[in-house]
Amino acid sequence: MEYTLNVSNLKEQFYTRRGIYKALNGVDILLRKGEILGIAGESGCGKTTLGLTIIGLLPRNAVVTDGEILLDGKDLIATLREFASKEANNLNLRHSENMMKKLNKQLINVRGSRISMVFQDPMTSLNPVLRIGYQIAETLMVHQPEVLAKRRLARSKVNDSDLREALKLLENGADEQSIKAFAETRQLEGIEEQLLNIWRRNDLGIARKEKMILSLRSERLGGFDMAVLERVVNQGGIGGWMRIPGLNRMSKAVLIKEGNAKAVELLSSLEIPNPEEVVKMYPHELSGGMRQRIIIAIALANNPELVIMDEPTSALDVTVQAQILDLLKHLKQRFNTSFILISHDLSVLAEVCDRIGIMYAGRIVEVATVDAIFNKPLHPYTTMLISAVPTIKGGEIQGIGGAVPDMRFPPSGCMFHPRCPYVMDKCRENNPQMKDLEDEHLVACYLYEGQKGEQN
Amino acid sequence: MNLWAYTIRRLLLLIPTLLGLTLIVFILSHVSGNNVILAEYLSPKLTGAARAIATQALIARFHLNQPIYVQYFYWLNAILHGNWGYTNTAIYSGPVTTAIALFLPNTLMLSAVAAILIWIIGVRFGVYSAVNRDSVSDHALRVGSFTLYAMPIYLIGVALIIVLGVYLKVLPISGVVSPTMVSGLSWYVNGISYPTHIIIIDAMLHGAWGIALNAVIHLLLPAITLALAIVAGLIRILRSSMLEVLDQDYIRLARSKGLSERIVYNLHARKNALLPVITLFGLTVAGLLGGAVVVETIFNYPGIGYWTTQALLDSDVGGIMAATLLFGLILVVANLLVDLIYAFVDPRIRY
Repeated sequence: MEYTLNVSNLKEQFYTRRGIYKALNGVDILLRKGEILGIAGESGCGKTTLGLTIIGLLPRNAVVTDGEILLDGKDLIATLREFASKEANNLNLRHSENMMKKLNKQLINVRGSRISMVFQDPMTSLNPVLRIGYQIAETLMVHQPEVLAKRRLARSKVNDSDLREALKLLENGADEQSIKAFAETRQLEGIEEQLLNIWRRNDLGIARKEKMILSLRSERLGGFDMAVLERVVNQGGIGGWMRIPGLNRMSKAVLIKEGNAKAVELLSSLEIPNPEEVVKMYPHELSGGMRQRIIIAIALANNPELVIMDEPTSALDVTVQAQILDLLKHLKQRFNTSFILISHDLSVLAEVCDRIGIMYAGRIVEVATVDAIFNKPLHPYTTMLISAVPTIKGGEIQGIGGAVPDMRFPPSGCMFHPRCPYVMDKCRENNPQMKDLEDEHLVACYLYEGQKGEQN
Repeated sequence: MNLWAYTIRRLLLLIPTLLGLTLIVFILSHVSGNNVILAEYLSPKLTGAARAIATQALIARFHLNQPIYVQYFYWLNAILHGNWGYTNTAIYSGPVTTAIALFLPNTLMLSAVAAILIWIIGVRFGVYSAVNRDSVSDHALRVGSFTLYAMPIYLIGVALIIVLGVYLKVLPISGVVSPTMVSGLSWYVNGISYPTHIIIIDAMLHGAWGIALNAVIHLLLPAITLALAIVAGLIRILRSSMLEVLDQDYIRLARSKGLSERIVYNLHARKNALLPVITLFGLTVAGLLGGAVVVETIFNYPGIGYWTTQALLDSDVGGIMAATLLFGLILVVANLLVDLIYAFVDPRIRY
């Protein structure tokens, strides 16, 4: 089995004036390729912290004391662990900030291109003074400038007969591979995704699409633009004389312009109406649901292996929420991307996830398929969490007695024992290990100790 | 476009504002009790019988034997027609408009250089201070800017004169150019250069590069003094607004896109952090003008502030009224510019 992400025994603390909060206490996650994993739990159980730790965006008072985050086998948080081993006892915030800056430098090529994140509040997550098109184009320019350059060069080279031939291929139902092969034989790499993106648009009629495809040819290139694009293709990025101030800005503008064109395609594939207009707008001109779609477009722009979504629908009303969840289901089919969907709302997770992990007090206590979690929950916390979800049929809602423990002084043994109705003596002393019971239904609870299953 | 409609509306609003300004200047000048209009418009060169005749002519022309509100409109008429009266001070005697044409270019030059210094130093250090918060250099910058902020401008000027001009003798402390360099020149007469009246530009026009360089060196000390007095406030405001912006969600999103720290700070954060600073631009212009009066006096720099000080000392009514009117005019226009720039840089604001 191939895993995109392997988190093991992740432990993290926050140093504050009031004491040390133990936010994560040994989180284990195995995420498969192309899977949507839901993470559910009460407020303050560490869901968001987990997401931010994976992408490396931590506040300066956070310290990762133990654990690994492997993305395709490569450890992302070695720097954090190393820092913790030196300064865990006496945290100097300024050292921590410098370390975070170092970490930012290390993760520049990972963030946005291999892992990206969608944040909770779409109203405040887009930069208010930059155009939508720029905010999408920027991430394309940083991570794959050569792709943008190729697209533009292909358009300048293509001629009418090429386009008519491609159109014939598309009309005969050619698949992605054959269009790509066609582009390669004509030395027009970069044109294929433009053809396919126009062809796949649902908001346009066939005549309009044909016209758009044929008009791909008409754009001419100036001498400076040509020089920039060719150098970017040859060198694989911005470099050399393009670093000279002034020229740097002009070279970037060439790429950003093409990034805008790609942003339009990206937005139309996310079924945003009128993408040509939207890229010219500023965030305040869009509704919350639209902004969240833009943020999702930014997250998916570079085809990352992993997208972390932190409560992507919590700030939206239910109808928009349903639209976004629909969109997620489509994305799962179209992109070969793994998702971690963080939410406190079990019904949201049930809608789109393959598996759900239940988190309590900085630990994942149960992981199973959606069916198993809802129909056969094992951990007492999961059972109580599900019975606390209000249903349309009415009926008594069972709350969970007690409250989330104060994580400065976490309970001994199993963290859930003060609220657990089945508490046993050994729960107070030892923390149960994750155990794989059947069909990858994992649970960390002593109730199932006698049953067969392998320790995990 | 929306922005154009807004610009035109703001320009039309300028008319009542300026009427109010002239009214206030007129009333204030009449509080002194003497007949201001006579003092303002009577040419200082006239004496004896000619003076008496001219006085009678002015009384008739401005209807000075009628109520004061009638007088205001005749005075306003003259102002609107570019007739601002006469000034008679130790440094210049003649029509006010000529005096403004002679002295204002120097002040504009000084303010422009100071403004560029303020912008470069202020933005650089403000952003640096926020990005490296709580570091040693941040603390040093904060102490430094607070000290400057608390110091009156003449104290900064005198301190710079003592250190750079008297002890180290690296910069000249007075005037716009060394007098020995410009004696006997055809385009430099009685301390006034021709044709633009800005000696740096005039020297370059006449190919006198040595004089131009000398004039630039003379400009440094007053410009630095003016800049230091104002830049402290800018650094402090930019630092706090930058810190606030760095905590925003969109900065976190920018980081999650894999942008370098430099782009996050210099584009995503700075563009937002500068918005409140632009609002203060109007105050900065006021500071530059007020500062220019003091700085030009300290450094004997023949600008509009220096002339205003002379007019005040000589009780020259024409000069005082013209300077008040001119400063008010500049402030009103600066505030208009602030609103327009703000509407231009912040897309959320379209009135």
